[in-house]
Amino acid sequence: MTYVVEGLTDSTVRFDDGSSLLVTGSTSAGRAAALDVLDDISGSETVVLITTNDGASSAVDWFDQRGVDTTVRLGIVDASGSSTPVPDGLPVERLGSPGDLTGMSLGFAKLAQRFEQAGSGDRIRVGLVSVSTLLMYADVQTVFRFLHVFTSRIRSGGLLGVFTLEPGMHDDQTVNTVRAIFDSEAHVVEAGEVELRGTGFTQS
Amino acid sequence: MAEADHPTVLVVEDEAPLIEIYARWLGERFEVRTAQNGESALEQLDEDVDVVLLDRLMPGMSGDEVLAAIEERGFSPRVAMVTAVEPDFDIITMGFDDYLTKPVDREELVETVDRLLSRSSFAGLEQEYYACVEKRAALESAKSVEQLETSEEYVELTERIDELRGRLDDAIPDMGSGDFVAMVRDIERGSGDGADEGSGGPDGREEGR
Repeated sequence: MTYVVEGLTDSTVRFDDGSSLLVTGSTSAGRAAALDVLDDISGSETVVLITTNDGASSAVDWFDQRGVDTTVRLGIVDASGSSTPVPDGLPVERLGSPGDLTGMSLGFAKLAQRFEQAGSGDRIRVGLVSVSTLLMYADVQTVFRFLHVFTSRIRSGGLLGVFTLEPGMHDDQTVNTVRAIFDSEAHVVEAGEVELRGTGFTQS
Repeated sequence: MAEADHPTVLVVEDEAPLIEIYARWLGERFEVRTAQNGESALEQLDEDVDVVLLDRLMPGMSGDEVLAAIEERGFSPRVAMVTAVEPDFDIITMGFDDYLTKPVDREELVETVDRLLSRSSFAGLEQEYYACVEKRAALESAKSVEQLETSEEYVELTERIDELRGRLDDAIPDMGSGDFVAMVRDIERGSGDGADEGSGGPDGREEGR
C-alpha cells in the first residue's frame, strides 16, 4: 500500500509504506508543506504530530482548518512547553522541553498504542516540526541517531514519516548529515513551489 | 570455540521449576547462568553477561533493586523484566530494556533475548554509519558536484553507507515501540556505544558508565 498525498506538488504523490520524507524550507513554508502531507489521511489512517515550537492547540487549529477530523484521528506530542488546553478527548502528550528525546519517543509510543487499541494503529502519518529545534538542544550526532532510530521504527511499522528542517539555520555539513537519513526530500523553493527528489515515492 | 561465542543470559527467578524451564529453552543457543534471588544474581554478574531476565517480584531484593545494583556496578547488560502484570512503556524510562508477562512461552522468551542482542549490534553498526555519513557530508560541503563525481573517497563512502543502511534495516526487522523508546533512551544516556563522544542527554541524567 501507499500513502496518497495531494497538494504537495502539482501531481498526486504516493509514498511507499515505511518511507520518511524530509521537508526543507523556511519555517512557515516547510510546516505548510508537511501539513500538506499529513492532512490527506484516508481509510483507517491517523496522524501523530510532534510539535516543538507551537502548542498543541495551534496544531489542532491547523488540522481543523484543513478539514481533518481531529476528534479521533489526531494525536499530538507537544514539546513546546505550552499548556493551552485542547478539545476534550484529544490525546496530547506534553513534554517539558524539545530536548527530551526519550520523552518524545515515549509520547509517540503511547499515542501509537492508543490508536492500535482503537484498531487503527498500523497506518500512521507521523510528523515532526521541526528538526531545526532539536538541533538547538542536542548535538548533531545525538539528533542524527534519534532520527535514524525513529525512521527505522517508521520503516518497520510501515508508517509514513514527515520531518521539517530549516536549512538556513544550520551549516551545510549539518544539513547534509541530516539529509542522509531520509528516503526523499521535498524542498520548498517558495510557497507553492516544491521540488521532490529521492526514492520511496511515485508521482502521477 | 563455539561455547565461548554464545551470548550469556542470566536468569533471575525465585521459582525453581521456572528457572529449569527457562534454562532448557535458552540452553540450546545461549550460555545460561541462573540465580534464585537478587544477591545471588549480583554474584553471577560480570562483563560476560549480555542479557538478564529479571523477575520483578522476589523475596529479598526486588527486581527494581537488582536493576539499580547492576547499574551501580558499571555493567551494562540488557535487562528484561519478567512480570505478572503487563506494564506501561514507562518501565523503559526506569531502566528496563524490555518486559515479559507471565506465563512466558518458549518462543516469546527466545525472541526477546534475540531482540535485546540485536539492539546491541544495531548500535554498533549505527556508530560506523554515522561516522561515514558525517565524513561524506563534509565532502559534500567542501566540493563541487563535479569534484564529488570523480572523488574515489566519495564513491566508496556512498557505497559503504548504502551497505550499512541495508544491514541496519536487517538488524531489527520488527522494531516495536518498546525497542524504539529504549534505543532513544540509550542514545540520550550515551550508553551502549559511542560513550567517548559524550553525547549524553541535555538533562544531566547520570551517565553512570
